[in-house]
Amino acid sequence: MRLTVPVSNLEEVEMLAENGAGEFFCGYVPPEWLERYGGAFWLNRRGPVVGNLVQRDDVSLLTERSHAFGIPVHVTFNAPYYTPEQQEFLLPLIARLARESGIDGVIVSDVGFLVALRCAFPELSIHASSVMATLNPGMVDFLEALGARRVIFPRSLGVADIEALCDTAAGRLETEAFVMNEGCVFEEGYCMTTHRSVGALCVQLPGVPHRVLPLGGERSESLAGEEGERARELMGAFKDWVWFQNGCGNSMNSSGMPNGPCGLCAIFDLARTGVTSLKISGRGASSYRKLVSLQMVRGVLDLLGRGVPREEVARKAMALRNTPKFCEARYMCYYREEAS
Amino acid sequence: MLLTREPREASPREGAGLGVEVGLSFPFLAAPPPAVLRGEASLEGAFLGAGSGDAHAALAEALLRHLPGAAPSRVYVGNETCERLLPTPRAIGSWVASAREGRLAVSLVLPPLSRDGLAKAEEAVRALDGVEESEVVANDWGTVHRLRSRYPGLTIVLGRLTHKMLRDPRLADCFDSPQAPMAARAALCRSGELAPGFRALMERYGIGRREIDPFLQPLEADEWESRSEKVSVHFPYLFVTMGRACLLGAMHGEPAEKFVPGAPCRSECRKYAVEFRLPVPGENGAVKNLLNRGNAYYHAVPPSVIERILGRLPSSRRVDRIVVTVPGDGSGWRQ
Repeated sequence: MRLTVPVSNLEEVEMLAENGAGEFFCGYVPPEWLERYGGAFWLNRRGPVVGNLVQRDDVSLLTERSHAFGIPVHVTFNAPYYTPEQQEFLLPLIARLARESGIDGVIVSDVGFLVALRCAFPELSIHASSVMATLNPGMVDFLEALGARRVIFPRSLGVADIEALCDTAAGRLETEAFVMNEGCVFEEGYCMTTHRSVGALCVQLPGVPHRVLPLGGERSESLAGEEGERARELMGAFKDWVWFQNGCGNSMNSSGMPNGPCGLCAIFDLARTGVTSLKISGRGASSYRKLVSLQMVRGVLDLLGRGVPREEVARKAMALRNTPKFCEARYMCYYREEAS
Repeated sequence: MLLTREPREASPREGAGLGVEVGLSFPFLAAPPPAVLRGEASLEGAFLGAGSGDAHAALAEALLRHLPGAAPSRVYVGNETCERLLPTPRAIGSWVASAREGRLAVSLVLPPLSRDGLAKAEEAVRALDGVEESEVVANDWGTVHRLRSRYPGLTIVLGRLTHKMLRDPRLADCFDSPQAPMAARAALCRSGELAPGFRALMERYGIGRREIDPFLQPLEADEWESRSEKVSVHFPYLFVTMGRACLLGAMHGEPAEKFVPGAPCRSECRKYAVEFRLPVPGENGAVKNLLNRGNAYYHAVPPSVIERILGRLPSSRRVDRIVVTVPGDGSGWRQ
């Protein structure tokens, strides 16, 4: 399995390459985009500026340095959709990135844009973003028909689903699964909210006034007795779950490592699925977080390489994480069923 | 000559409801509501009989004012966000038989499907074989691809979850703000579906109808009218977001078992809802409603939005159907 790692500035390339990165992905937002759309419409999922390169020369340099280590670079154009005018703007931009900056491919979410890219650039590597929400074998077939090279699975899939979809994709599409850092309680491909100006709805919800209503009654009715207690417990657990998925409240462990969604203990099982690549997400994260995340994943993969048994790999992975109570809670896990 | 807002002739609308079809969607009902399917319920009765409350009463009034004589002619069975609510072939048979009595057409709604869900969905689709005017509403492209490749003659409708546009109720009212850059306003009030790539997909997969939400931001005219396919518009709920792990479905699980995608549940969504009151940024004390129904979140749009959209229907060339979601379990729910 290769390790796909985010990179958001030139200085990170050597550090991440030397620590085992197998592939890079980055974002690029040219000034012209910001002039047109301000912060209202993000060019990619990490916007408008933080976590992105803003000069094409920097993309060229980043690619050159990465290629010196034999590492390919894909650039994210993974907004949920682009209007016809935006696509007209982006197609020549991507042409220049491929021709002059040497990028190896792009990551996209808009199915129509994928078709347009494939038509315009028959040889360009196109990865189907997790935002496309590939949940079933039909989607794998669809993406192959459209000419995608890789499918990035959404975070909500379990290992068994990933294994089945990897079987479907075998020999036709490369595959990629999340292993560290970013989470959400919603399905990214079906979330129509924005973080712009108003923050993340998912993070806010537990703190928003709410009430659990019984159906079939009057609006003023509220749950009482055992039902009411269950409802209170539910909303308390919901608050916990959101907290864990949001980087454990953006906290750090005792070693200074940022906490957050994680699939370290499932790597043994993921390796058996045949998945091509493991994704460490977080283009907007600090260089330190990227590095430590990569080292932890690398460390677990080294255990696999030494033939360490499954249970011991999981135990050592959790030791690396160094947040045993968080691991026990399981709300931090990408692969919940595997933790049980 | 009746003209639309665009400089062209409007389509002639004849008959009840000015030719706009009305579909009733029962996403949480396991069995058909007899009076509605027998064709014995009026439009208001169909809305109110399900106990949906004031929002639906206002919708019925507005609908009949804009589309005189409108009456339900189609029922939607199935849930657009949860495959656990996928009806069995037997249940579909029951819906079809009841709908036939009331001379109503049937639409089977499919959510974004997992691999297991896709197999079950195919069984459900086969139960519609030979049912006149039936159709399947698909909410992911993998399902579209699978169904088109295996059932070439099937009528496939593209569900509203595949219509990629922002609908955040906290902010969407501002998307059309005069203070926003013109390009940004345009981009937030239309999708990418008129671009050549998406058009090619619609043609390749033979999609003749697309569902659209009741957007808070006014969509650009092209988004409604410059399509080759027909358009259905949903009322009164705007889809906002969903997860594959269910909020209400976690009610009875142990803490460590809660919020696992695809985990077993007790269909709590048929018994409960969670109402959130979202503060509106910059507006002192103002709130927007957000309704959780299981694994999905909706916003009941205000009357002004309903008026704006219904007002364009009589002259629309493309929008010829509305879909009204009746959210309760049939025993009544006041909102």
